[in-house]
Amino acid sequence: MLMIEHAGKALLRSHGVAVPHGQLVRETADIEQWRGPYPAALKAQVSSGGRGKAGGVARVETPDEARAAALRLFDSEFQGERPSALLIEPWLGHERELYLSIVVDGGYGGYAVLYSPNGGVDIEAQQPSVYEVGPAHNFRAHALRALLSRAERDTALVERIVAMARRLLRVATVSDALTVEINPLAVIDGKLLALDAKIARDEAAAFRHADIAQECAHRRTHEAARVARALDNNLMMVALEGEIGLISGGAGMTMAVMDMIAAAGMRPACFLDCSSNPTPAGYRLAFALLDEDPAIKAILVSIFGGGTHIDRVARTMSEIMRERRCAKPVVFRMNGNGRDAADAIMTQAGLCNHQRLEDAVAAVHALGTRA
Amino acid sequence: MSVLVDRASRVLIYGIAGNFGRFSVRDLAAYGTKPVAGLAPGRAIRDVDGVPVYASAAAACREHGANAALVYVPAPMALDAVLEVIDAGCKVIVYPGDGLPVQDAIDMRAAAREHGTVLVGPNTPGVISPGEAKLGFMPSFCYTPGTLGVISRSGSLSYEACWRLSGEGLGQTTVIGIGGDPVKGLNAAEALELLHADATTAAIVYLGEIGGSDEDAVARYAARPDAKPTAALVVGAAAPPGKKMGHAAALVGSQADSQAAKVQTLRAAGVHVAAGLPQLAAAARSALARVNK
Repeated sequence: MLMIEHAGKALLRSHGVAVPHGQLVRETADIEQWRGPYPAALKAQVSSGGRGKAGGVARVETPDEARAAALRLFDSEFQGERPSALLIEPWLGHERELYLSIVVDGGYGGYAVLYSPNGGVDIEAQQPSVYEVGPAHNFRAHALRALLSRAERDTALVERIVAMARRLLRVATVSDALTVEINPLAVIDGKLLALDAKIARDEAAAFRHADIAQECAHRRTHEAARVARALDNNLMMVALEGEIGLISGGAGMTMAVMDMIAAAGMRPACFLDCSSNPTPAGYRLAFALLDEDPAIKAILVSIFGGGTHIDRVARTMSEIMRERRCAKPVVFRMNGNGRDAADAIMTQAGLCNHQRLEDAVAAVHALGTRA
Repeated sequence: MSVLVDRASRVLIYGIAGNFGRFSVRDLAAYGTKPVAGLAPGRAIRDVDGVPVYASAAAACREHGANAALVYVPAPMALDAVLEVIDAGCKVIVYPGDGLPVQDAIDMRAAAREHGTVLVGPNTPGVISPGEAKLGFMPSFCYTPGTLGVISRSGSLSYEACWRLSGEGLGQTTVIGIGGDPVKGLNAAEALELLHADATTAAIVYLGEIGGSDEDAVARYAARPDAKPTAALVVGAAAPPGKKMGHAAALVGSQADSQAAKVQTLRAAGVHVAAGLPQLAAAARSALARVNK
């Protein structure tokens, strides 16, 4: 979950990182409240990357220019996202722009510090220096200093960067951040100032951070209504633009089945993984969501259960099929723990449970060509 | 032969009184693996189906010589539970839970490595050596003994894949679920080393997905002159970019994360990559055909 810049900078400031004194602009009229100097920077607050290149940052010389830029930015979209607010800050002249970030990488089994002496919008083209930390307690200032000394001649600056990296790593651990990126990190009179902040928080840590939990809940309200309903009930759903509804279990198998649907010349209508809520209520909701979508022509239930015991699922499926008031065809392929009992339950309910996934996909395909 | 677990494994089940714990007591025993003791935090019970329940992992290990652990606790308790079984001396630990904060995964992994413990997970069904032993909740009927070592980022995909392989007469030495999270106790590179060192594993099958860097590790391994022949399946071709597909690490953020890029990297390293699930057994057979050539 990417924090908007303003929230990210507030978090950095609370950890002793210097940031510009800015003000949040929620509507164009708020520009009047700006008591800071001109020229100023007006920055769209969006959670998508590439904002600078997309014109999301404006330099304004006067209040009139600021109002015009605010109107334009509020009316713009950045990768489909409208800014919720703007940030106005003094436009600061600086000697240099650096790049510094803390990231989590599975390859290192922990954190890494990334540094480039050339920050700015074209960081993707840079090859940053990488200090592989691992767990945070492995951070050694001398190791980072040795690495930076190769890229950086200004020894006083190296010390400031090392101290800053240590501080950003602290931000990452204390606030459960997966990325803490400052780009650009400006050098002004030899001191460091974070001109931007890209902080990605770990959604899995919502149970110990009220602000993450709140933000996750808030962002759900921006999802399509049916996706929000699914997520609220622990069904992992991503809506796609196809016609084959998929009720599945396990992320890997869900993707594998999506690929097979696509390989058969059809399009999956969703990624819908029910393995975190394999209950009657969970499956009922899954059916309700797919039944009410007119774009979906048929439903494939594909579950290979380990922790999810497939006999219990079969019992639920037979009940759902008995109650269901929707004519959309449903094709079943369930296998896994409890499969013998599951087959018996399905047969007794007069439902076909395909043994092989290929047969189930072919059965869906046969329906599709008739529809 | 087997990697990580064998007939001598003595298993501690942490969270033995829950649904998963109770199931595993019966399921492990049915497979010939001994659940010797359990922990049931917050519950005043003495045993589950005759398996004694202890107040601490240290006591359970001391009294019963437990050397492996299966940890079924929710994410907020997981780090402490895993640290406890590491301290108690279990040398192989499976943590199947999902939704674990990455920071806790980093700390678990670091603690396990410091103690010479192998941690498998988070977000995994565990490890099984067909015909020998299991430490996890995967459906046992999917597996048969053989010469393929299998590594998977996805639990459900590993059941389906092994069920297919077994049906085609392609048995397995050990199947390791490394899990779908970005930071893993045992990552792909480390799981490959275990299977590489196992004399009975003739070839390797890797089951991957979009996002993350594990597939790069597989490609690096396969390019080694001494590598065992390797087959792979990478799922997520139909996944749209920028969307997390269930697993925390399954997200196409950059071009390198995409299924097509991963397939290309693996093929360039000499891996037999299946176009889809239906072609997996053929890819595994191609890898096996290269053994000793």
